[in-house]
Amino acid sequence: MDDRSLIAGVQAGDPGAERLLYDRHVDGVYRLAYRMTGDADLAREYTQETFIRAFERIEQFRGEAALGTWIRTIAGTVVLNGLRKVKRFRQREVELDEGVAHAAAPRRAEPDLKERLGQAIEDLPAKYRMVFVMHDVEGYTHEEIGAALGMPAGTSKAQLFRARARLREALSEFAGEWAS
Amino acid sequence: MSDDRFEEFLREAAEHYHVPPEIPREDMWIAIAEARRRSVRRTRRPDWRIWGVGIAAALVIGVGIGRISVTSRTATPMAAASAEDDSDIPVAYRVATADHLGRVEVFLAGFQADAREGRHVTDVAPDAHDLLATTRLLIDSPVSDDLVLRDLLEDVELVLTQIAQYAGRPNSSELGLIDQSIDQRSVLFRLHSATDAAPAGMPYQGAL
Repeated sequence: MDDRSLIAGVQAGDPGAERLLYDRHVDGVYRLAYRMTGDADLAREYTQETFIRAFERIEQFRGEAALGTWIRTIAGTVVLNGLRKVKRFRQREVELDEGVAHAAAPRRAEPDLKERLGQAIEDLPAKYRMVFVMHDVEGYTHEEIGAALGMPAGTSKAQLFRARARLREALSEFAGEWAS
Repeated sequence: MSDDRFEEFLREAAEHYHVPPEIPREDMWIAIAEARRRSVRRTRRPDWRIWGVGIAAALVIGVGIGRISVTSRTATPMAAASAEDDSDIPVAYRVATADHLGRVEVFLAGFQADAREGRHVTDVAPDAHDLLATTRLLIDSPVSDDLVLRDLLEDVELVLTQIAQYAGRPNSSELGLIDQSIDQRSVLFRLHSATDAAPAGMPYQGAL
């Protein structure tokens, strides 16, 4: 079934079409949500929210973009908004726990490259991280990223460039790993 | 060292960043279907928003009659000023927000009192979820143009999220954290101030 027939089916309330739409796109949405959060519960929550919104709004879908792009746009919004809330929530937990944390902070061993890279990616601003994850990890093109995040492909390129520059700086002490 | 080599290294290394586990497709599909069923049931049921619009309409008519009557009699600057609405938030949203904040205040005050007396507070999940859903609707509405109000709603959202999560997996340390959250952000005090500042005849206007 092509996208046009699929959309018509979903708009008409056909449960089979709804399930087919879900099956076609759920893996991409979940993978993006998990790569961005690193948390199975949050990835699940954001994926569900994405499809709930997609089904709610399918009547408004006019086909200006591909269906996959439209769903990724919703996913991007859900994930970025969700991450903002999680960040605030965790900041509050840190505030509440800060006395205990300072007193009990354990000495940590030097992180290895993998750990440092993970932390450096975490530390990127959410939008840069989204572009980096979509391009360098999930393999989307700048055109696809731009369409999904509502910006020109050139902006996606610029944000990826900045993200990589920050990662390079954060990983400078491991330069031998890629220079050799 | 070239950019190309770094980019190649980065792409290879980043493949191991947050590698997704097996995707719980069926579980998520069931949850989506259930959420959509609940949403359909809610939209079929008359709720406070409909009452809010009705109250708003009554208020608009009331204010209109008041203006005509004031103009025809004294038309003093004070009377005209008091009839003006200097808020950009539509009246229906103000009424709905006032109603919601009042409910949240009652709910949180009851929750905190029960928690401090050591009573089991595990049956609050449905109320917490309902209030959370309404809070999020308001955060996404024109009400959020008011930064003070948005800040209050976002704090309310965090506390209600904690309570909803706690109700699913109750433990005493989490209960203590919720109590601290309510106090640390002065949530009850701010809710009380917002709802208490309402002049008679226009509930909570001025606070909102």
